[in-house]
Amino acid sequence: TGGHTTEILRLLSCLSESYSPRHYIFADSDKMSEAKIRSFEQKRSKTFSNSQFTLNRIPRSREVRQSWTSSVITTLYSILHSLRLTYKLKPDLVLCNGPGTCVPVCISALLLGLLGVKRAIIVYVESICRVETLSLSGKILYYFSDYFIVQWPGLKEKYPKSVYLGRIV
Amino acid sequence: FRFKDSLAEDLWRADLVISHAGAGSCLETLEKGKPLIVVINEKLMNNHQLELAKQLHRDGHVLHCNCSTLVETLQSMDLSTLKPFLPGQPEKFALFLDKVVGFQ
Repeated sequence: TGGHTTEILRLLSCLSESYSPRHYIFADSDKMSEAKIRSFEQKRSKTFSNSQFTLNRIPRSREVRQSWTSSVITTLYSILHSLRLTYKLKPDLVLCNGPGTCVPVCISALLLGLLGVKRAIIVYVESICRVETLSLSGKILYYFSDYFIVQWPGLKEKYPKSVYLGRIV
Repeated sequence: FRFKDSLAEDLWRADLVISHAGAGSCLETLEKGKPLIVVINEKLMNNHQLELAKQLHRDGHVLHCNCSTLVETLQSMDLSTLKPFLPGQPEKFALFLDKVVGFQ
């Protein structure tokens, strides 16, 4: 969604073309991300001629301030969709930065790894907006990601297993 | 106006920006090197949104006030005390990721 998409595209801006093909996953209720991604990829294709990417929508796992009980149900529904998608894509690397959509995808990637189907490296980058506290996605994925990156030193102190590289977006 | 796709043009022409504490607004303004006063409405905002505005203020990149002190702030502000905001460095992320996946 919105700010998350802008941030993740900035994260991708310096990556080499070895990170290809790129599969973008976002919520079906998200109207703006597709345009931002296409614009980014179009610019990229001017430098890298063989640029490949796909766009994938999954049901949103949780609306902001959605109640706990209904969130569990919608998250489970998203997880089923993500499992199917992740199984199809079999990614080597999952990169995410915090929207609710990323939790089911990361859980799916973890499950595929546990089942011996495909082991992906999971890299989580917390949003630059998070200076003192982690987002809900961050609090969950701090324990389940391979690399957890924060952008402010205060968070590195609170979450010692995190990686601090300074501001990267 | 109510909504525009992009404020970039208006930002380029502005000498001073007065904004709410939304992260996108703050960062977009600072990246264009414009002085920024953040107006904080403690009643409307939850703590999370304030985190970035407070940090930017601590680092000397923005001035802040609330709705009732805005006029006073505008009258007494000294924009020369604001420190330049350096852009983020995604190249550091790329270097890190290359090592992690083994693309060195």
